[in-house]
Amino acid sequence: MVQINLPQNSEVKKGKYFKDKTGSKNLRRINIYRWDPSSGENPRVDTYEVDMDNCPSKVLDILNKIKNEIDPTLAYRRSCAHGVCGSCAMNIGGKNGLACTTPHKEINGDIDIYPLPHLKVKKDLIGDLDGLYKQYQSIEPWLKSNSKSQTKEIIQSKEDRAKLDGAYECIMCACCSTSCPSYWWNGDKYLGPAVLLQAYRWIIDSRDEERQVRLKKVADELKLYRCHTILNCTSACPKGLNPAKAIAEIKKMLATANI
Amino acid sequence: MENKAPLSPHIQIYKWHISSLVSITHRITGIINIIGITFICLLVSLLILGENNYEMINLFLSSMIGKFIILGLTWSFSFQILSEIRHLIMDLGYGFDLKITKITGLIVITGSIVLTVVFYLIGKNFF
Repeated sequence: MVQINLPQNSEVKKGKYFKDKTGSKNLRRINIYRWDPSSGENPRVDTYEVDMDNCPSKVLDILNKIKNEIDPTLAYRRSCAHGVCGSCAMNIGGKNGLACTTPHKEINGDIDIYPLPHLKVKKDLIGDLDGLYKQYQSIEPWLKSNSKSQTKEIIQSKEDRAKLDGAYECIMCACCSTSCPSYWWNGDKYLGPAVLLQAYRWIIDSRDEERQVRLKKVADELKLYRCHTILNCTSACPKGLNPAKAIAEIKKMLATANI
Repeated sequence: MENKAPLSPHIQIYKWHISSLVSITHRITGIINIIGITFICLLVSLLILGENNYEMINLFLSSMIGKFIILGLTWSFSFQILSEIRHLIMDLGYGFDLKITKITGLIVITGSIVLTVVFYLIGKNFF
């Protein structure tokens, strides 16, 4: 259901202000969402003054700098720092993206950093993605071929392989799903752009033999048709993929298929 | 002490894009149009009931509020039609490129205003 306001325990309060101690002239204010599960308090937004003269180019570098030099209690996920693992997905300047591939130069003024929207927060910038992973599991994202030999290579033509481009590159960072208002309101039933893009990836795979079953499974008023082409997903995707188009293609297949 | 995990902010912090703006306006104008059509039907059925009603409706529609409602409905219908065409094209699988969605979104927004002006001028026997 549409719930515009945040629940009472989620209302964001004003937090601490960390004044710069380096004496740098090139300062930037970074506002970061904080929530400590052990405190029992509401979430707050802390402001940090960061010396930009000694900071590399990406938003993740700012976070590392804050954690290393200013406030070690800050919690966030990160791993590869090269836009491959999808761990550091968060809301930066009002838009979802990977902290490690978002240059801070592209954001004007103070930088606001929040966890991915509409998730249960575990701590600070870490959101709970369990629901999304369960949905991902529900589409059975693995190859299903019963007739063909398990030990022999399944040959795929170049054309069929090309169909997977733009779908297999997804790193499941959840930037798209958590940017989608439909997913905010119906995240328990609607699969969301990330999972639907993966559903599409297996539906169009020429080696997969359960195309009809997969299509039938996803053909549901709530699972699929909650996509209203708001296109927040496509504009959020840090890998430049197009989940909205994949969803439209699934809808098209269903409109022309005999199921 | 374990606290119930808060919900991270969503619509409060998420930046609006042209595509999301067009999408939500499409829904709002859809609702306005349903109310508008009901309202127009009501006026028409009142006309059947007699001449006095015509005077009353005429008076109402030439008042400031009446004019605002007429212009508002004209815009709302124009927006809905253009946006619906955009959606039809998208249902065919075209126009999902980010740049193109931005352009078609802008066409819908400016087009709806242009259409409103055109309809207004037609109503004023300008052409």
